[in-house]
Amino acid sequence: MSKCVIDGREVNFTPGQNMIEVAKQAGVEIPFFCYHPGLTIVAQCRMCAVEVGMPGKDGNVQMMPKLQTACSTAVAEGMVIKTKTEKVLKNQKSVMEFLLINHPLDCPICDKSGECDLQDNSYKHGDAYMRYTEERRTYVDLDMGPVIKKNMNRCIHCTRCIRFGAEVAGVREMVAIQRGNNTEITTIDGRALETDYAGNYADICPTGSLTLKGFRFRKRAWFLKKAESVCEGCSKGCNIELQQDANVVYRTLPRTNLEVNKHWICDEGRFHFETIHDADRVLSPAVQGATGLDMAAWTDAVAKAQGALKSGKVTVLVGSDLSQEEAQDLKAFLAKQAPQAPVFHFGTPGVKTASDDAAADALLKRKSKTANLHGLEKLGYKPFDSLPAGAEQVLVFRAGRAVLPDLSKAKTVVGVGVFLKQEAQAFQAVLPGLTWAEKSGTFVNHDGREQKFQRSILPQGQSKALSESLMLLANQGTGTGAA
Amino acid sequence: MHPALQAETLYIQHFRKKDEARPLSYYLEQMQGYTALGKALKMAPDAVIDEVKKSNLRGRGGAGFPTGMKWGFIPKQSPKPKYVVCNADESEPGTFKDRDIMRYTPHLLIEGMIIAGHAIGSKIGYIYIRGEYTREAKLLDQAIAEAYSKGYLGKNILGSGHDFDLTVHRGAGAYICGEETALLNSLEGKRGEPRVKPPFPAQAGAFSGPTVVNNVETLANVPFIVNRGGEWFSSLGKVERSGGTRLISVSGHVKKPGVYELPAGAVTIRELIYDICGGITDDKKLKAVIPGGSSAPVLTPDEIDVVYDIEPLMKIGTMMGSAALMVVSEDYCAVKLIKRITKFYAHESCGQCTPCREGCKWMEDILHRIEDGHGREQDLALLLDIADNINGKTLCALGDAAAGPVSSFVRKFKGEFEAHIRGKKCPNV
Repeated sequence: MSKCVIDGREVNFTPGQNMIEVAKQAGVEIPFFCYHPGLTIVAQCRMCAVEVGMPGKDGNVQMMPKLQTACSTAVAEGMVIKTKTEKVLKNQKSVMEFLLINHPLDCPICDKSGECDLQDNSYKHGDAYMRYTEERRTYVDLDMGPVIKKNMNRCIHCTRCIRFGAEVAGVREMVAIQRGNNTEITTIDGRALETDYAGNYADICPTGSLTLKGFRFRKRAWFLKKAESVCEGCSKGCNIELQQDANVVYRTLPRTNLEVNKHWICDEGRFHFETIHDADRVLSPAVQGATGLDMAAWTDAVAKAQGALKSGKVTVLVGSDLSQEEAQDLKAFLAKQAPQAPVFHFGTPGVKTASDDAAADALLKRKSKTANLHGLEKLGYKPFDSLPAGAEQVLVFRAGRAVLPDLSKAKTVVGVGVFLKQEAQAFQAVLPGLTWAEKSGTFVNHDGREQKFQRSILPQGQSKALSESLMLLANQGTGTGAA
Repeated sequence: MHPALQAETLYIQHFRKKDEARPLSYYLEQMQGYTALGKALKMAPDAVIDEVKKSNLRGRGGAGFPTGMKWGFIPKQSPKPKYVVCNADESEPGTFKDRDIMRYTPHLLIEGMIIAGHAIGSKIGYIYIRGEYTREAKLLDQAIAEAYSKGYLGKNILGSGHDFDLTVHRGAGAYICGEETALLNSLEGKRGEPRVKPPFPAQAGAFSGPTVVNNVETLANVPFIVNRGGEWFSSLGKVERSGGTRLISVSGHVKKPGVYELPAGAVTIRELIYDICGGITDDKKLKAVIPGGSSAPVLTPDEIDVVYDIEPLMKIGTMMGSAALMVVSEDYCAVKLIKRITKFYAHESCGQCTPCREGCKWMEDILHRIEDGHGREQDLALLLDIADNINGKTLCALGDAAAGPVSSFVRKFKGEFEAHIRGKKCPNV
């Protein structure tokens, strides 16, 4: 372990570690804009400049005459770093001023407000007084496709987006055109964004220049309550944060996990939360009636499900979108209640078993579009081909993401979990269950990594946790705990 | 005639012959052409570098870095190809000396580059020439073809076993591409933006290979050094740590502007203007001198008794830069001049780093306002503070180049700025 001195304190560091990170570890904040741990270093914003010195042969520390940018300066043994000197603070103040002279300062109507690096650093390191009286620079923005809304007037030219596209997403789509004061960050020829990872542009943008079309004007950042979750979009298990207010999930953001998803998530995973609040989701118990599937009492729906379960001809299909805990409960339940019934797992067409699962692109996406395929196989669930002959009664357990197989040959289908009205049209009954946002649990990703996710919101409508539904199925009518 | 004009010169007598000096035949007959190459190829690479170190040759592009030391930084062994790149961008306003070398004695540059290639162990050279020099690019191409046809370039040069290929690459006209790392980016086909240093080009330059980037005049001096020895070259200079002669581009309000060749440090600025260039146009009074291209802080008439060379100028807070002396007479408005200079730097800022991108334009806007009679008393303090916030805080030297002139003009011509602000118009009109 090597040692350096930051603001008079001795600090340990690993050679090769970035100076900003070393300082952060020691509890010293060096402000920055263009630096991002997942992107190359460009030292463009100049916000992180600090005073740096090295001990000479005589042991006296020789400070370098110019400020050095912390992001691009390698920390060396014995290095002396000063982050709070007058010179450093003046530079921070001046960079803030330079960045703001052409910024519209429209925080009251900007979606980034409240979680904006520019805003935060302006409060912390800037000056409340503005000396600029010239006309501000303005740009005309072109549409960038369905995901990202651009507002170039707010841009501080940190080039994180350019680097993200070229270095991470593998598409050189964001570029700088013109130069100097007229530099504009845009897509090549003003095209729409191509990458499936476009949402990350909004995450890494340190201002409100790139925002999510789907999120803007919907909720102020400071109202959002955060829950640490894991994406259920595929078997990668990207670490995410679900953000909700008043029981409504407003967005998904990536959480950094260098071993899984680094700092990123794909757009499919990012916008998957929208299914939680799908207007078409079955949120109350339902039973097939004269006019089709209709709202019913829990007791009626449970009775229908019990009928199927006890018929002796039941086949059980389990979505590989169930959490590990749910799958375990279900396994124990079936062993007791329907020991003869064939049980299969289902999830993604074309990905029958864990061995079919593979990377679907160069970055994060996997072929299995359910989160817990590998976990279910670990528990001994068997892959599903097609309904066995004579499978008249089918019980489907599912958390919403697994793709339903063809059930047209079954006489009776009862669904437990998350279904859209359209999907469940022909079902005999539905017992509404929880999406992953409404429960805590564990997913096992493609590497066998077990990852916990936290509940973000309360159960929607009348939906119940699977354990509750199973309890009702086991006990209703037995006198030991009817609903 | 000033005694400095009688000293030995290397270039100017050939420049005077203009087109006649250009062909290879002239170079071979009148300038000992390619004899230095033959000599250098028989020397060990380190011996060539030592000779250049002894010569006290300092970079002629602006920074004045000792050339031998620069070559010495190139690693001996490298898994990637090494490159010799000639910076022929000559974009500093007021500089036009490299143009004459490329026009009239292109083979000096070519020979210098081949020798540099031998010294650092490189087989590939590029001449990055500014886009506006279309004619010079063509002339260089012709000279390179001549050198190839005689076996000075290509495989197994003069039977030595050493190979060297040379290509001319034209820029597209951006000032910033004279900055060596922006030049390398541009050469690689990327956006012309300076790179973060380290790594320096000596470690990872063109195409990530170790690269030496030298100015045209710097490389053109190399054949003289090899032929006649480093000590001889060093002795041409009249001040310490500065060898050889200097090609000086004199422009502005002097009677005889143009390219001059004088021993390094042989004259003061006063001598240069009045004894060598014939004094100020129409015998007006001198108002200001910009000694080293437009990025050098300005000097007032009472400061011109300084010896015109790297270190003496540095001591009084300005720089020799690319040895482009711009002379301004009393008729010209100082505010207008610095506004024009700042406009240039604001226009040429690459836009990567914050202080330069935002600050240069801000300074230009303020100067524009003052010139138009809309200045405010607090503007001068503001200009000085903005310049201070840019100076030394930017990714490359362009920020310093823009900030230095502004703060020097505001300090040294404060009265004229105040007259603009208080009178609400330019007093010179």
